[in-house]
Amino acid sequence: MTYFLFVGDMLVMLFMFGVVVWVCLRSNRKSIDDAARIPLDDEGENG
Amino acid sequence: MSATTISSHPTHYEDRIVTAFTMCSIIWAVLGMAAGVYVAAELVWPALNFEQPWLSFGRLRTVHTNVVIFGFGVSALMGTSIYSVQRTCHVRLFAPELAWFVFWGWQIVLILGGLSLLAGYNAGKEYAELEWPFDIAITVVWVCYAVIFFGTIAKRKIAPIYVSNWFYGAFIIVIAMVHVVNSLALPVSLTKSYSLFAGAQDALVQWWYGHNAVGFLLTGGFLGMMYYFLPKQAERPIWSYRLSVVAFWAFTYSYIWAGPHHLLYNSIPEWVQSLAMAMSLILLAPSWATMINGIMTVSGAWKKLRTDPALKFIVLSLAFYGLATFEGPMMSIKTVNVFSHFTEWTIGHVHSGALGWNALIVFGTYYFLVPRLMGQPLHSRAMANVHFWLALAGVMLYVLAMWGAGISQGLLWLSLDDFGEVRYSFIEVMEAMAPYYLLRLVGGLLFFTGAVLMAVNLFMTMFNGQTVRVTPPIAAKSGGH
Repeated sequence: MTYFLFVGDMLVMLFMFGVVVWVCLRSNRKSIDDAARIPLDDEGENG
Repeated sequence: MSATTISSHPTHYEDRIVTAFTMCSIIWAVLGMAAGVYVAAELVWPALNFEQPWLSFGRLRTVHTNVVIFGFGVSALMGTSIYSVQRTCHVRLFAPELAWFVFWGWQIVLILGGLSLLAGYNAGKEYAELEWPFDIAITVVWVCYAVIFFGTIAKRKIAPIYVSNWFYGAFIIVIAMVHVVNSLALPVSLTKSYSLFAGAQDALVQWWYGHNAVGFLLTGGFLGMMYYFLPKQAERPIWSYRLSVVAFWAFTYSYIWAGPHHLLYNSIPEWVQSLAMAMSLILLAPSWATMINGIMTVSGAWKKLRTDPALKFIVLSLAFYGLATFEGPMMSIKTVNVFSHFTEWTIGHVHSGALGWNALIVFGTYYFLVPRLMGQPLHSRAMANVHFWLALAGVMLYVLAMWGAGISQGLLWLSLDDFGEVRYSFIEVMEAMAPYYLLRLVGGLLFFTGAVLMAVNLFMTMFNGQTVRVTPPIAAKSGGH
């Protein structure tokens, strides 16, 4: 049971590394910068 | 844009509900902290319970934790998530009427639930004390909250889902999951039920719930708040957006395993305890990555720190976040836990997070949010600055007192005489706690006084105005429709 959980744990860890690699490869600097700026330009005018 | 146009074609953000949640959250903060100060006073002067059951430590302490976490904290999270999800999606809230149901439903559960705890009805599970009818009501309200939050994200006008929404989303999903599973019970009457789990399984499920309530409510939800309101307040984007996304996944993956560290050296499997310790230590990485990301976001905006009370609160809250998320993993190490478990050190750790991180970030957010919601300047900047120093002094005194008390307790409890018997009796250890309990009361009083000042300041700001109607950028560009 312990080994089963350990293997499962490592698989999830692998998924985590995959997410990190995916985030780094898929996005470019502009898309990241645009997403980061969302809170700074999210209001139109006051009614 | 005229008011008539707005009412017939509501393109503006739905912010009145944010105002309502904010007002209730402030009221709950004052009530919950007052209860906390009172139970701290009872530990110094036990006669303060006046032999009334509803004034006893056991009942009032539960009211204190429920009111500050679910009244103050969750009302703040609901309000700020509704405020930010609309803005980060550039759309009006999905199903605003349902949002009002969530608001009233949540407040009614809090009022009746608090009264039921005072009356002595208690399910006996920490942070899940409310009996089964309340558990069902909470589930219904929570599902509706999820519908309006994710419904708003589903109809967003911009492609990226901003990182604050990932944290708020994880908070909503995980709390729903752990609440439903931990509340599974067999009712025997309207006011009494028994958990579906028994023995060690019950303890494991309870702390799977309890620690993920800390993780995804008091940490994840409030990180959502931080990732939206810190960049707004500092007027600059988050320092590393990539780091925030990576930290989110690392945080989500690691936290879910950490619960059994509340049960070290108890009757649960050894490997579960070790796994919980290991995952708790791993948690240090995403926690500090987030803290560094927040602090670096403020770098370059340090000048604002001198004059802006809201930013001061948020930056200080990040410092306490770093402290609490360092202390937690250390306390989960089994050899350290031998010393710290069941002592006041744990109470100090919880309050360095709850007061230093959760309360301070909400205070900072409200000093930023309320003037913008009302279209009015803050009633008194001087009062806000006094509040900041009262809060800092209060939390420091509280935490230092509990560290001192906890370390003393640990040493006294582990001290053995020549025959291997405990050297100090229960009453001798309690006598040694007296000065620390008094110091904790003083710290709590300072913190509470600051919260009252904030309540007066923010309500005076609210009374001078009404909720401003703000349109999304796209609607504004296209003439408000």
